Amino acid sequence: MDVKPSPHIRPAGEPLAGLMRAVLDKGKPFRFEARGTSMYPFIRDGDVVTVAPLAGQDPRPGDVAAFVQPGTSGVRVHRIVKVEASRYFLKGDNALDVDGALARDMILGLVVRLERGGRPHRVGPTFRSAAIARLSRTFWFTRLARRARRLFARQEGKG
Amino acid sequence: MNDKIDLDKVYAPSEDVVVREIEGEVVIVPLVSGIGDVEDELFTLNETGRDIWKRVDGSKPLAAVVRELAEEYDAPAGLIEGDVVGLLEELLVRKMVVEKQ
Repeated sequence: MDVKPSPHIRPAGEPLAGLMRAVLDKGKPFRFEARGTSMYPFIRDGDVVTVAPLAGQDPRPGDVAAFVQPGTSGVRVHRIVKVEASRYFLKGDNALDVDGALARDMILGLVVRLERGGRPHRVGPTFRSAAIARLSRTFWFTRLARRARRLFARQEGKG
Repeated sequence: MNDKIDLDKVYAPSEDVVVREIEGEVVIVPLVSGIGDVEDELFTLNETGRDIWKRVDGSKPLAAVVRELAEEYDAPAGLIEGDVVGLLEELLVRKMVVEKQ
């Protein structure tokens, strides 16, 4: 009888949140594949993300955090854009809406490492993250960024 | 049968694993490398493996696990013993179970 590596199981939703919380509660980082484009271009679909436990530190605006999405109990990875009265406001860099005001215990951990195409990818300096968080609070910035990306993609297509 | 697994000894899940049931399978994430890695280090047990895993809980010697399973499966103890020892060997190598002192 074998203990088999299981590439066919891709934990998602509530099971992924349960696994992540259990690992982080033991003080260990958690590594998994991110799906979706809500954090594009910082995190791309298929990037491998490592989330570290909070370990007593208070998350700050600009940090990219894994959290349990209210309602679905699934895991999302978005940027903290504002902290107010012990409530955390998170938003995908490429999303139009803020995820809502979250209590600290909904935040599972912070993204500390990214891998793209099997290689480590720079997470970026804190000042840049904080600037993105500030700009990201405003709806127009996300729209502008999306429009600029579409324009660049079109230009690259022509070239 | 082998010099690693002793039926008179008690084994238990290691502190360095996280275990969850997902889609009807027991999923084990080892933390031995210092990270919970579900990309490269995710393991599952089949139905028989799950029945063995649930009984290897640090409360009884492996011989008692074999007896319980032989009764449940209505199968010869020798046959069950082979499966139990085989699985425990693998789990021990991967540091997913530990021998209780």
